[in-house]
Amino acid sequence: MPTQFQSIRKKPDIITINVGGQLFQTTKQTLTLAGSNSLLYTISLSSSNIVPFIDRDPEIFSILLSLLRTSNLPSKAKTIDLQDLIFEAEFYGLGELLVSSLSNPSQFEAFNLERSLVLPLSGRDSPSVISTTDSGSLHVAHGSKITSFDWSLKKKSTILTHFTAVDSLLAISPCLAAAGATDFSGLQILDLKRGFVRETLNWENQTKSDCTVQAIGSSGNHLFTSFESGRRNSNTIMVFDMQDSFSPVSEIAHGEIFGAELDSAIPATKLQWVPGYNLLMAAGSHGGPSGVMGNIRLWDVRSGNVHWGINEKIDCFSDVTVSDNLSAIFKVGVSSGEVYFADMRKLDAVNPWICLGDGRKGLFKGKKEGAGCKIESHGNQVFCSKQGDVELWSEVLIGSTRDYEDELDERVFRKNVIGRMKDSGQSRITNLGFGGNRMVVTRKDQQSVEVWQSASKAY
Amino acid sequence: MEGQNSHLTCETQARDRIKLNVGGKLFETTVWTLLSAGPDSLLAALSARHQDNEDPIFIDRDPEIFTVLLYLLRTNRLPSTARRFSKQELTEEALYYGVESRFKLAILPPPLVGIDASLIETIRPASDGFPTAFTAGAGDGSVWIAHGGQISGYDLNLMHAGTIRTHLNSITSIRRVWPEVAAVGSNFAAGLHFYDFSSGRHIGSTHWTDSTDPRIYKAKVYSITDSSNSVFASFDCSHRENCILQIDKSTLKIASEIGRLPGNSTKTVVPRKLTFLAEPGIIIGSSVSSGAFGFSGYIRIWDPRSGVMVWETNEPGSGRSSRFGDSFADVDVEVEESTMFKVCSKSGDIGMADLRNLKDDPWIYLEEKNPSLRNMGGEENSVIHCYRKQVFVSRETGLHVWSRVAQSEENIEKRDFERWCYRRNYVDKVEDYKEKGMIRRMEGGGDRLFVSRERVEGLEVWESSDLSGAISVL
Repeated sequence: MPTQFQSIRKKPDIITINVGGQLFQTTKQTLTLAGSNSLLYTISLSSSNIVPFIDRDPEIFSILLSLLRTSNLPSKAKTIDLQDLIFEAEFYGLGELLVSSLSNPSQFEAFNLERSLVLPLSGRDSPSVISTTDSGSLHVAHGSKITSFDWSLKKKSTILTHFTAVDSLLAISPCLAAAGATDFSGLQILDLKRGFVRETLNWENQTKSDCTVQAIGSSGNHLFTSFESGRRNSNTIMVFDMQDSFSPVSEIAHGEIFGAELDSAIPATKLQWVPGYNLLMAAGSHGGPSGVMGNIRLWDVRSGNVHWGINEKIDCFSDVTVSDNLSAIFKVGVSSGEVYFADMRKLDAVNPWICLGDGRKGLFKGKKEGAGCKIESHGNQVFCSKQGDVELWSEVLIGSTRDYEDELDERVFRKNVIGRMKDSGQSRITNLGFGGNRMVVTRKDQQSVEVWQSASKAY
Repeated sequence: MEGQNSHLTCETQARDRIKLNVGGKLFETTVWTLLSAGPDSLLAALSARHQDNEDPIFIDRDPEIFTVLLYLLRTNRLPSTARRFSKQELTEEALYYGVESRFKLAILPPPLVGIDASLIETIRPASDGFPTAFTAGAGDGSVWIAHGGQISGYDLNLMHAGTIRTHLNSITSIRRVWPEVAAVGSNFAAGLHFYDFSSGRHIGSTHWTDSTDPRIYKAKVYSITDSSNSVFASFDCSHRENCILQIDKSTLKIASEIGRLPGNSTKTVVPRKLTFLAEPGIIIGSSVSSGAFGFSGYIRIWDPRSGVMVWETNEPGSGRSSRFGDSFADVDVEVEESTMFKVCSKSGDIGMADLRNLKDDPWIYLEEKNPSLRNMGGEENSVIHCYRKQVFVSRETGLHVWSRVAQSEENIEKRDFERWCYRRNYVDKVEDYKEKGMIRRMEGGGDRLFVSRERVEGLEVWESSDLSGAISVL
């Protein structure tokens, strides 16, 4: 590129740095890319003629300079341990650049996931719940402990909590998480570095009894918590302000159970924020003598009104998720074990569910094919666990020329089973999570976490 | 460290820069980095000399290892390239440059956290590999193992530092009383003996004698502990009379006799566990025996300056206690917090007592909230060991730990024990305890926990790690 060569003649733009005895030459523009908090940015500003000296390892600096020039790591970086790179990048203030080049959600390749890593956990408890952050750091609750892995999955730390077992966990930042349990009162905001409870959030209910946590969700600004009173006769969803030291903002979906009318107020056990629609999805179910019943609601958090809701009696969801990108709600039926979807733009239909499989299976109430299945949406795909396998559902986009002979529905979803032959037949999946360019999976009775990513992206 | 400005130098500090030529490879660093190695190191000495000469200083050593050590000086951590070299090589090279203290700090394991510890190594002495006793008393993570009549030392890298042979045929108690001196005793031979580890020589013996009582002879040693200037050992005669002798560390002469007991009942037998608590200056002795009717034992506390017993408890105690019949199977003292923990023989419960506020019944029982861990039942073969504010308890072959949930400093200061929330967790994984021997002894040292098992060769080393230990399964 001629423009780059031209700049050599303009001398002031070339900067020479001496790192640990080796001379490096680069341009002011390259160094500016490091960001204003970076040490390199400070160097790019200095106008003196003396070559600045940095007393650090030159080999690792050469790699970080390549990262700065191309925003990609050179292949020779693989000869150096990632931890060294992270440590040096932190020193130069290039930490975020390194994260975005190695663990970027945009590098997630749903069709190219391979079982690549197993993260062992100490002790004999198997993981109860996991939570991930965008950059790929991972928190795993097992027994009364929470183990946090950094975004590179190279380092871990473990803290002890007051809980016997954590049932709901949500990562707020790499070192802050909200945790709750169905047998413990209050939601705890935990400092994962030092193991302290930074804040305990409660629901001031009328009966003045304990309030257990059924589900946690977050919209980035607000933290949503589904509480149930200790006597299990009332429940609510509290909205807390995450920017303002978790002060309570409002209360939505308050429900009371009168007499034996258990269905009148089922606590939400799954909360999911749908940013595209500015709605909160809350879903809860319970098993009774007449089968599993539940409801799904979409809440307008500001007004506290239900935007849409459905009561589920036949083939109630075992798990449910909203895909913003696909504008659809997906559920896996507890009786049939089949995946259904409901188009967000056509929710007003009498039965919005369209079964992606054999819908007749759902009519047998006694069956529990879908019990324990998990469904999560990530990017343009929906992931559904069935026993030990993960199904990947994706939409096939069909052009405008539609032929009746194709027998295609209005929207076409197709599934794949992720993984190779050797990965199948393992024990039941208990959690699915997504962070950075990875999918994380936990299994029943396994004291470890599985990491799936495309092999070419694995460091 | 001289601060962050040592890394980025401008013209004012240009003269502080120093060039080194190590084995043909050129390095450039600052005087401050080299000085941080310590005033006595070779590198600090070189940094003082450089002004008279502009040429790089030549050092005829391997440049690659120097890269590792220079990285250590610059950043205070070891680079991953250090793994290319053995710990032995690195230690020797660090010794050559005089940076061994920085090096030692960097290679030590992170703080021992029982809830996140794993078995990293089993030390196996070459012959007679069944440890009969061991001591991690140096506190730096090194350990001396007595196996049969030999003592093998392992340094802080857990590398074999040497083995000496003693005149005893089976050492059953050992204590490292000086950096190079071990006090050893045996249940099968009389006397307390001191061995110099570096020379392998016997340097002294102490026997319990009493000029007025000719029956006191050939007393055997059952347990050893030490304070900064004394060694305490419990001696037992063949007719079961026993006492604790305080022995001066420098002269190896008997200073005083404490707590003489007739030994005619289980409540007066020789203490099998001794702990010295430096803060109030007390010695705590305990003994537990098991028989057809369960466990019985005692805990006694003496003040060695006056030789007076200040507190005692016996179990099974009086029938008034709600825990009658659930006497302790083992006790241990938490030195850092002046507390004492016992494990009950029948229920397996853990009792905690405040050593600064001992009453008739000082025990506070830790509550088990985890239903899957509750009612684990008889802890007959339990061993309890307190280390770094955590309580490690073994049950047969399994190992768990009671640790405190992080709390505000205020609660800890106030010693408000009712609010100290302890949680029990397994330390071992399922594969770690199956088909293994019963845990016999545990001792913490440095940031390591050493565990010996019955009829199992070798000594297990448990450490915490901040590495995730991810296993690639691609």
